[in-house]
Amino acid sequence: MAAPMELSCWGGDWGLPSLHPESLTVMAYAKFSGAPLTVNTINNSWRTPKGDVPVLISEDIVISQPAKILNFLRKQKYNADYELSAKQGADTLAYIALLEEKLLPALLHTFWVEAENYCSVTKPWFASRIPFPLSLYLPGKMSREALNRILLTKGGPPLYSLSEVEAQIYRDAKECLNLLSKRLGTSQFFFGNTPTTLDAFVFGFLAPVYKVCFPRVQLQEHLKQLPNLCRFCDDILTCYFRLTVSGHSPSGQDTADANLQKLTQLVNKESNLIEKIRLSLFLCRWMTTFVRVHSTPLES
Amino acid sequence: MSLVAEAFMNQLAAAEPWPENAALYQQLKEDQILLSDNASSLAVQAFLQMCNLPVRVVCRANAEYMSPSGKVPFIHVGNQVVSELGPIVQFVKAKGHSLSDGLDEVQKAEMKAYMELVNNMLLTAELYLQWCDDVTVEEITHPRYGSPYPWPLNRILAYQKQWEIRRKMKAIGWAGKSLEQVLEDVDQCCQALSQRLGTQPYFFNKQPTELDALVFGHLFTILTTQLTTDELSEKVKNYGNLTAFCRRIEQQYFEGHDKDNSGTAAPRSAKRSLLR
Repeated sequence: MAAPMELSCWGGDWGLPSLHPESLTVMAYAKFSGAPLTVNTINNSWRTPKGDVPVLISEDIVISQPAKILNFLRKQKYNADYELSAKQGADTLAYIALLEEKLLPALLHTFWVEAENYCSVTKPWFASRIPFPLSLYLPGKMSREALNRILLTKGGPPLYSLSEVEAQIYRDAKECLNLLSKRLGTSQFFFGNTPTTLDAFVFGFLAPVYKVCFPRVQLQEHLKQLPNLCRFCDDILTCYFRLTVSGHSPSGQDTADANLQKLTQLVNKESNLIEKIRLSLFLCRWMTTFVRVHSTPLES
Repeated sequence: MSLVAEAFMNQLAAAEPWPENAALYQQLKEDQILLSDNASSLAVQAFLQMCNLPVRVVCRANAEYMSPSGKVPFIHVGNQVVSELGPIVQFVKAKGHSLSDGLDEVQKAEMKAYMELVNNMLLTAELYLQWCDDVTVEEITHPRYGSPYPWPLNRILAYQKQWEIRRKMKAIGWAGKSLEQVLEDVDQCCQALSQRLGTQPYFFNKQPTELDALVFGHLFTILTTQLTTDELSEKVKNYGNLTAFCRRIEQQYFEGHDKDNSGTAAPRSAKRSLLR
């Protein structure tokens, strides 16, 4: 009876349904509450929305932030929290605030600010899923926004240099992971045996840290020393995302796309100017042959 | 600061007992201080009262600039200066006084989570109301913030601070919120605090902790500060156990200091007007 709901979000890799923490939170909540969402991952076409991801579209309503999307789903009677007591509901809000204040800066830093991670993993991955001219601009913009957010919220005096800010945010994140581990203890989910909103948020923040293979991984190494949190992520992935994880790899990965990905990675790794010139010459030659093959001849 | 510097500071702190002449600095109480700074200052004062550590409140127009982190309040103890509630709690702990020693690990995690909730929602809402709501900015914030300084410095400083706060709001996604949404967030936060407090005297049953001090600081200031509208204090008044909690802490920890006229903040619940 409910109108069909479509969720547009970033796709996944490394065994995850999505790499983006907020998209992952919404997808996890939809699985927990049984909401029938059609998930459209952002691919190379121009039609998918780029700003403010994830976006839920239901008939004519467009909702964009995770908290608002979850509220909307609850109003549609897809509520994962109906068995919680009032105090547990309050705890949910408090722990979500803890995640946003303490864990999110380090997560943003690992993905978007740490130079090696950004250049070798994040930027090529996101650039390959955004259509051509935007792919040169959007990842850079997301990186700048992440750095801005970190500096504005955590970067005031007495921390004067970026390395001091980095040290502080990683320390806060590790403390947050320890607190979450103590709170989870040995139970399967945070509030007993059924997953709730808090589990969706924790999963959304932890799973990217846990699964994505970065060159610089201090947060992942710390997380791997907390076995109950790793078990928590693995449980949710196998129980709730098993059916879509295998079928989630994009089926239409054509060779041009793969070539572009490899080329972007090469360009980012090699900082040699001559190599870059050589590569761009190759690109031009490839594109001109492509155009020549596919354009109709003018003379009859 | 780095781990080494922190360990060094803890070592220095542990070396001396709490002196008699510890001072807490904030902005001028009658004319200059704003809602959010007053809340933070009151939270620190409540915390120190709960630890039974004497401190006198000193009001200075340039308190914000004297502070090592740019935020008020800060305390001057011996030859060390520490600002903001988090570092002050750690500093006091290094001196051997702590309110949260009796809590187990899970309770400590909960306490930290609730403190982040208050900082994330209540404090940000207060900042939003003060600096992003045009009516309040025009009528209250700008006149108060620059009041100790002559024209044009008062306007320049106020605009500079406003620009800084608005940048931060934009980075965390609050710039697009309307006042109603912010008030709804405050309501949600108060509901969570009210449900957590329940019928207990303090958040962790018998003994007050730094969470109680923080919540008291913010809620008491919201209840007793007159702004252009009463909507913010109405949101808090909806929860009877929160107002009873504030009254209880006020009576227990601030009653005896009425005579002290370097002023603990508003010991009576009479409305102090922040309107010029």
